[in-house]
Amino acid sequence: MNAWEPKIIAFLCNWCSYGAADLAGVSRLQYPVNIRIIRVPCSGRINPKFILGALRHGADGVWVSGCHPGDCHYIEGNYYARRKFALLKSLLEHTGIEPGRLHFSWISSAEASKFAETAREVVEAVRAVGPARHFIKTKPTWDDIEAPVQAACQVEVG
Amino acid sequence: MHAYTEKIREAAQRLLTEKKVDAVIGFRHGTVPMMSEPVCVRHADQVHQLVWNGFCGINLANYLAKRKDRVAVTAKGCDSRNIVIHLQENQIRRDQVYILGAPCHGMVDRRKVWEFLKGREPLQVMENGSSLKVSGKGFEEVLERQAFLQDNCRICTHRNPVIYDELLGDPVPEQTDVDRYEDVRRVEAMDSEGRWRYFNDLIASCIRCYACRNACPLCYCPTCFVDESRPQWVGKTLDPTDTRTFHLLRAFHVAGRCTDCGSCERACPMSIPVRQFTKKLEKDVKELYGYEAGVVVEGRPPLDTYRPDDPQDFIK
Amino acid sequence: MLKIFVPKDKMPRWIGRIMDGARVFAPVKEGDGYRFRLVTRPDKLDFSYQNTRLSPKELVHPPAEAMFSYSLKKGDPKAGILEEIPKALGTRVVMGIRPCDAKAFQLVDVNFVTDQYMDPWWQRRRQNTVLVGLGCHEPCSTCFCTSVGSGPFDAGALDVLMTDLPEGYLLEAVTEAGRALLADAPEGAPASDTVLTEARFLAQQAEKALPRLFMLDPLREKAMTALFQEAFWEEVQFACINCGTCTFLCPTCWCFDIQDEVHQQEGVRLRLWDSCMFPLFTLHGSGHNPRNQKLQRVRQRFMHKFKYYVDKYGNGPACVGCGRCVQYCPVNIDIRRVAAMMTASCVCPT
Repeated sequence: MNAWEPKIIAFLCNWCSYGAADLAGVSRLQYPVNIRIIRVPCSGRINPKFILGALRHGADGVWVSGCHPGDCHYIEGNYYARRKFALLKSLLEHTGIEPGRLHFSWISSAEASKFAETAREVVEAVRAVGPARHFIKTKPTWDDIEAPVQAACQVEVG
Repeated sequence: MHAYTEKIREAAQRLLTEKKVDAVIGFRHGTVPMMSEPVCVRHADQVHQLVWNGFCGINLANYLAKRKDRVAVTAKGCDSRNIVIHLQENQIRRDQVYILGAPCHGMVDRRKVWEFLKGREPLQVMENGSSLKVSGKGFEEVLERQAFLQDNCRICTHRNPVIYDELLGDPVPEQTDVDRYEDVRRVEAMDSEGRWRYFNDLIASCIRCYACRNACPLCYCPTCFVDESRPQWVGKTLDPTDTRTFHLLRAFHVAGRCTDCGSCERACPMSIPVRQFTKKLEKDVKELYGYEAGVVVEGRPPLDTYRPDDPQDFIK
Repeated sequence: MLKIFVPKDKMPRWIGRIMDGARVFAPVKEGDGYRFRLVTRPDKLDFSYQNTRLSPKELVHPPAEAMFSYSLKKGDPKAGILEEIPKALGTRVVMGIRPCDAKAFQLVDVNFVTDQYMDPWWQRRRQNTVLVGLGCHEPCSTCFCTSVGSGPFDAGALDVLMTDLPEGYLLEAVTEAGRALLADAPEGAPASDTVLTEARFLAQQAEKALPRLFMLDPLREKAMTALFQEAFWEEVQFACINCGTCTFLCPTCWCFDIQDEVHQQEGVRLRLWDSCMFPLFTLHGSGHNPRNQKLQRVRQRFMHKFKYYVDKYGNGPACVGCGRCVQYCPVNIDIRRVAAMMTASCVCPT
């Protein structure tokens, strides 16, 4: 039985992509239910900690969407964000987060169909990489110095 | 004695006597081989403490942020680039700092010397031009200095200060034929799982002492994200996810600002090559935005600006 | 007490038998340094080290210790109740610990085990741990144990003292636990006078190699406030970058922080190493920080080691002279230099 469904955190900017999600809803466009939306004022508001936070909590994928370049409600928020995202995505993937987990898009509030389509694309991409395996923060389980030492020792001492 | 030492003392004496500066920040002899201690000299009668040698690897720009007084500071190429960043980020005013530029031949990595000695303890290390004379109980070795430089110095392309008020010696030839990103490309060539494991092993011994963060001149936030508690972004145990969160965010905070001065790696008590995180970002910034941190005062650091046509292939 | 001599080729057998009844921790080479690790094969023991990078305090006082767990689930009858996390605290033998690191345990005992309070985890681990020490016949250049009231062959905090001789090891029982360990060692023979003389000679040589750099006795008499206000703190503190290297590597730094980690409906109460070098260490809930300045924090570390501890416990100092902070401080703040400044009796070469 394969009951696993990807869990994806979507950070949508208030002025464009969140509006698109809204419009997709009222237009009754179909898109997968795997995304949990968090509304942010602007894609420029996205702190890398948010994205790491989502992954640490076990999200299988993260999707950030904002206004098209030039359309930012705050004039240039998404321009700054774009540089941050490029570097963050590259750094995370360089350190071993699979490329299919992080997604970015520009979707205006009129592009309901693009929203639904991108949602499908994102969910399928995350489904293809499978459940998150790395970078999940769990409850501390080691309760004594011996436990981790033993594991490390086996490697070291054989 | 290194040729710069006399010049530093002379300049310090002059600047302090003429009251051009309130203090001179430089190095004094360390108490263990291959270490020099940062020192702040306030009186002309103490300038004899100041020295220069191949063990002055710590970045002195770290002692400049948010200062209120006027200081003179000895600055290698990397230190001077970090001063430029301080100027860009309004951490100090240009008229507050008098830069004694030190064209640099690279700094000695004592770990490389230890490794070479295989357990024999160096008791004295003397520099003589391009060689290092290492002696200890019952042995003496003459090493080729170049082979024992810090990793970042070996690939440094800004050995001469980019900004200074006086130069302590003639500019040194810049290294032009170095491949700065050979190691980054090697990691890039691995598959995703391999890269994950590579960085896991890299930081496995981290004890979260934050020496890498604190040795960095760029880390001057009043409250670091690891100390934030509402919300708490990162746990304080040695949990691998928490440790990685720290290293990723530390690196990201210096994206586009890191001058690869190597202080972080030099400071790490566990010998973790933490530059593997920052170098990837440095490479990306160069490739995507054509920017090198701290080379010119004018303009803004890459994450504080944008171009309408910045690359965005990764955005749907 | 019992003194036996075990030839080098028979050591693995003796250690192997100890391993049958206890978990053995010993220095293991990791990366470019040594660290105390659980060792399960006697032939893997490596006594060729000078000093481990991290002190063995992590064996008794781990960097992060999960103490209690609790549930926040609605309707759970145990909700909101702290439950102690059970720990496997069996007998342990630490092989090859340096006398200075063992002395550190003794110095820290007064903090965790007092008339009024007893730290159960520290105390249980201490009780279950037998310390088989290895005398230092080749101390590092950064070692200064003789200046702080210890020595390279100080058996005071050990259960057994080992002396590495060319042919084998002299093992001297110091405590009853140590005697028990040696009584069951058919590999060894009673130590001859030649062996004992040889060992004494080595110990004396090592002691001689470590001249006393400063005299701490005057510190007892010195007024704390006078020392507190000395001008030299300004000089000492300048280079400090406020990292935790010195405190985390130090065998006698015991300070910790207690924190809860909550994961959805469950939580764990943790005890974590903390460092007086961090501004957060003293930050009050009100936002006020009594040690807001770097100078105050740097001074705290040295005052605690050499003055507060001595005044409070009439013992000490709380430094064993292992030299780790000297070796690994990224900016070369040398505790020997500072101690000399504090005692104003500097005889150390600068």
